[in-house]
Amino acid sequence: MAAVWQYRGVLGLLVRRDLTVKYQQSVLGYLWSLIEPLTVAAIYWFVFGVLYGERVANGAPYILFLASGLFAWLWVAGVLSEATTALTGQAGLITTVAVPREIFPIGRVIGKFVEYLAALPVLALIAVLSGSGLGPRLLVLPVAVLVQGVLLVGVALLLASLNVMVRDVGRSVRLLSRVLFYALPVIYPLTRVLESSLPTWVTVGYQLNPLVGVMELHHAAWTDAVPPALTLWSAGIGSVLLLLAGWWVFRRLEPVVLKEL
Amino acid sequence: MSDGIIEATDLGVRFVKNRRRNLRLREFVVRPDRRPRVDEFWALRGVTFTIKAGDAVGVVGRNGTGKSTLLRLIAGVLVPDEGTVVTHGRVAPLLELNAGFSTELTGRENLAMVAALHGLKRPEIAEVAPKIIEFAGDQVEAFLDAPVRHYSTGMRVRLGFAIMAHLPHPILLVDEVLAVGDRDFRQKCYATIERLLSEGRTLVLVSHSEADLRRFCNRGLFIDAGKLAVDGSISDALTEYGRSQRPG
Repeated sequence: MAAVWQYRGVLGLLVRRDLTVKYQQSVLGYLWSLIEPLTVAAIYWFVFGVLYGERVANGAPYILFLASGLFAWLWVAGVLSEATTALTGQAGLITTVAVPREIFPIGRVIGKFVEYLAALPVLALIAVLSGSGLGPRLLVLPVAVLVQGVLLVGVALLLASLNVMVRDVGRSVRLLSRVLFYALPVIYPLTRVLESSLPTWVTVGYQLNPLVGVMELHHAAWTDAVPPALTLWSAGIGSVLLLLAGWWVFRRLEPVVLKEL
Repeated sequence: MSDGIIEATDLGVRFVKNRRRNLRLREFVVRPDRRPRVDEFWALRGVTFTIKAGDAVGVVGRNGTGKSTLLRLIAGVLVPDEGTVVTHGRVAPLLELNAGFSTELTGRENLAMVAALHGLKRPEIAEVAPKIIEFAGDQVEAFLDAPVRHYSTGMRVRLGFAIMAHLPHPILLVDEVLAVGDRDFRQKCYATIERLLSEGRTLVLVSHSEADLRRFCNRGLFIDAGKLAVDGSISDALTEYGRSQRPG
């Protein structure tokens, strides 16, 4: 952990390089970080906000509820898709430069976080335009980001190292990512699940997913939602456990990974 | 503490022949066992040596006998399964014609990136960059703002060597790189290596060129089938290597 902190300069460099490579041959460049989430948000807003007539969620306009969860989700989805290649895609660098290898997956998490940050002004704009406004509840946002960051670093370490061993990981994750999206309160509010006729073990199991709590924290920052205690406990404990698990597996696989690259 | 700058103790690393066998869930749970497995072989084993600061060490041996593996272990980009390798000082490695360039970035961006990854601070890079570019030659300079994927192998090696040669690190690892450049560039490399050696840097050179090895190296390691067969003068190592290649 200390070693990674010592190499934070290199980390920043890797992130900047990834962003440079990503945007260098596109005309719109940085604007893509806004276009992408906005387009996805527009689609879901059209289907559920307009066609299904979902007007209010968590006591806020549906579009704000949707965007606050969706933008955070895109950070998750981005990490899921890019963490798998964090080591395999940079083999040339990893096999020549002796730096703590953890920085490569962590770099991917930060890179996606930067894109999330880039889209935040849009979210703020939606909040203002929809009449919901910005309030002191926004202080929850750093907490949401912190918990999500811890969780994603764990996941990224896990996926990056496992993918070197078994390339199926990349594919499974793509599928998992789609399932996960619908298993989170992003396009629908959590109350829909809690008030449904689903058996208790399902609703409790649903809330045990640490990402549910993360999404609820994001909603709490922008809307009047109060996350159920259970989701917060799962998010807090789950993200730390995932980080520890990811770190442990990564350490364990590191010698083998280096031989394989 | 001895005066060694690179100290390898009972160094061993094993590879798996069959890629599919790589993920063994058991290895997560139990400590890696010491029993030999059929699909494994030791690329290096029981290698112990000490390299003193200022030494120029030539590593010889047939293809696939663990020379490059040894360099990767010294560079710290491979973790040994047995033993340890300790370096007292940073390492500037030029391994397998690859300096770690990202092919999508330009030569200039890669220069900054790789130099920074090897620990140079930004002002240091700004200072040393013109020298690196000049050293790499006109051709590289002309393509400095083109992505490295458009570079020829020769150009990549030139830029890679130029960067490594301008790092202040006390240990320089060079793996089969000199064979790639044209004569002009080779002359430059020779001069640079001689200069670095006269500054008291330590060189570990893997090469198949007897002339290069004799020119620079005062010590030789002959590696045969993953074992350190000779650790002595470069002549000893080359003689023994020559003998082993002539059957009978």
